[in-house]
Amino acid sequence: MTARSATFALLAFFAATFAFFCVAAPRFATASNMENLMSGFSFVAILAIGQSFPILLRGIDLSVGAIVALAGMIVFDLELIFHLPGPVILVAALAAATLAGALNGWMVVRLKLQPFIATLATLAAYRGLVYSISGRQLVPGLSTTPIRNPWITGLETYFDLGTTLGLSDWVTLPWFPLGFFVMLAVLAAFHFLLGSTRFGRSLYTVGGNPEAARLAGIDTGRVTLAAYAMSGFCAGLAALLLVARLTTATEALGTGMEMSAIAAAVIGGVSLAGGIGSVIGPVIGAFLLGTILIGLTLLGISQYVQQILTGAILLAAVGYDRILVVRRRRRLEANLAEETRA
Amino acid sequence: MTALVPTLGRRLAPHALPLAMFAIVVAFAISEPAFLKPDNLIGIVRQVAITGIMAVGMTFVIMTGGIDLSVGPVLALSGVIAWFSLDAGAPLLVGIAAGLSVGLVVGVLNGLIIARIELPPIIVTLAMLSMVRGAALIIGGPDLHQIRGQEAYAAIGSGNFLGLPISVHLFALVTLLMIFVQKATPLGLLVAAIGENERAARLSGHRTRLTKTALYAICGVGAAIAGIVQSSQVHTASATYGEFGTELDVIASVVLGGTSLMGGNGSIARTILGVMFLGIMNNGMNILNVPIDIQLIAKGAIIALSLALSEAKG
Repeated sequence: MTARSATFALLAFFAATFAFFCVAAPRFATASNMENLMSGFSFVAILAIGQSFPILLRGIDLSVGAIVALAGMIVFDLELIFHLPGPVILVAALAAATLAGALNGWMVVRLKLQPFIATLATLAAYRGLVYSISGRQLVPGLSTTPIRNPWITGLETYFDLGTTLGLSDWVTLPWFPLGFFVMLAVLAAFHFLLGSTRFGRSLYTVGGNPEAARLAGIDTGRVTLAAYAMSGFCAGLAALLLVARLTTATEALGTGMEMSAIAAAVIGGVSLAGGIGSVIGPVIGAFLLGTILIGLTLLGISQYVQQILTGAILLAAVGYDRILVVRRRRRLEANLAEETRA
Repeated sequence: MTALVPTLGRRLAPHALPLAMFAIVVAFAISEPAFLKPDNLIGIVRQVAITGIMAVGMTFVIMTGGIDLSVGPVLALSGVIAWFSLDAGAPLLVGIAAGLSVGLVVGVLNGLIIARIELPPIIVTLAMLSMVRGAALIIGGPDLHQIRGQEAYAAIGSGNFLGLPISVHLFALVTLLMIFVQKATPLGLLVAAIGENERAARLSGHRTRLTKTALYAICGVGAAIAGIVQSSQVHTASATYGEFGTELDVIASVVLGGTSLMGGNGSIARTILGVMFLGIMNNGMNILNVPIDIQLIAKGAIIALSLALSEAKG
């Protein structure tokens, strides 16, 4: 099964799940629920896109949740304490998140730390940094002030595409949140980057076989650094969408989100063995996760059962990935055997 | 920088942790003499007992190149199950056994999936973390359950024996047992062999899969013991104990002790050194009133730095 047909299989599974909940869960197939799904999981999809880069390199980024909090708190401080202009705030938050990701990459490349440990250490360190720059604690009374800067809250705009396109006479379409389009833009940009640029090819090569990539003259260090920086950038973007939605930032923002991001990426067919995967898969993975969680909630199934199911889905996804890997290896061995015989 | 780090690292690496520990103890003792009082020192060991028991249990797992992220929820579920058994009128030993069996079951499941189906330990135990937490919350709900009228059970966490807290005795007992396993039993040798080269160990006829399953079971039971100590220490059981971050402290202790995440090197005794190091850091920073944000940053920086040093050695 090729990567492309694996994506189609995932898409088919997503469609089946979606159809199931449309029939089985009350109020699932409504416009307002679709708005929930799109605005509630677009940022998970963005985190999952970011997470695929370290995983493509056989790494992992556990610190994305803490980076989300860091970027969120920077927005909070710059807006409510320093009253900087909107564009400056957006750029500063994204830059800080990208830098935090690059620092992860630097530790992996230069200090030769294992990605798991490096990002584990920064998970604690970045979260600590969030507490120490928290405007909620530095300036009393600020914690109840909402963020009103239109540059930031504007990210939580909804578009009535149905009326614009003249379709609303026929069906009730959901209003599309801006975050959804941001996610699509990220998806398109990174899909192009991975599929059609030299950098993308290097990334797959380094992930597939780092030693071969090095011998082929690829600067593996730079590729690795960039991969972690991109994961940080995506976390920053997700933070902007979250802050726009909540109109505030807290120290605990993004806690545990690495779990959803990793799960969505792995469900989306990014192989933990490195070198295999796309950014479309993780997006489908994120919305599959969202469909299942929202659907189960509408079915009245407890949140605790959902936790068990999330774990089970994750296990099933890696199990499936494992089956593909084994099958690929067998086919390779069979081919080799045939060639030797011939 | 690049030239300096390897040479310095090569010379310092084997002794980095004891040296750093000594320096920190001296620094804390000078800035706050109360640090060196016997009561405070015993207090440190008591504080680290829970993390310590889990770290000792996880050392073998990490030595084989694995990891167990599910220890936090196992800690919670074991306390909740023990509470339910005792509340239903079960005798003390039955209650404890019920709690410990949680760790055994989860550990064996982890081990079977990782050793038999060969799925990556990070993801398997991450999934297990979510599933066990969900199960604990279904069984125990989000509330705290007071443990009343169970003097014997409460003594595990808060009683004293021969002038030392019983939890400290328990910690020492678990540690000595595991040091014995590592030094004097075939299992200890096998752990090292799998860590060095799993394929070679399997090809030379060792039952590597069974061994790995057993190691995850040991790790699970360690977390369950910690759960019982914790719930008896605070007289409450709750499905929310062992919150996210518990497993990170445990892993950090093991890795600080010099056990490589790639497998191979490692020892229980050195894990204790790592546990004490983090314990002293936390205690000293608390005594000195270092705010939580700086504590988190310092912890992250120290873990990264000490590992970068030990990496430079190899």
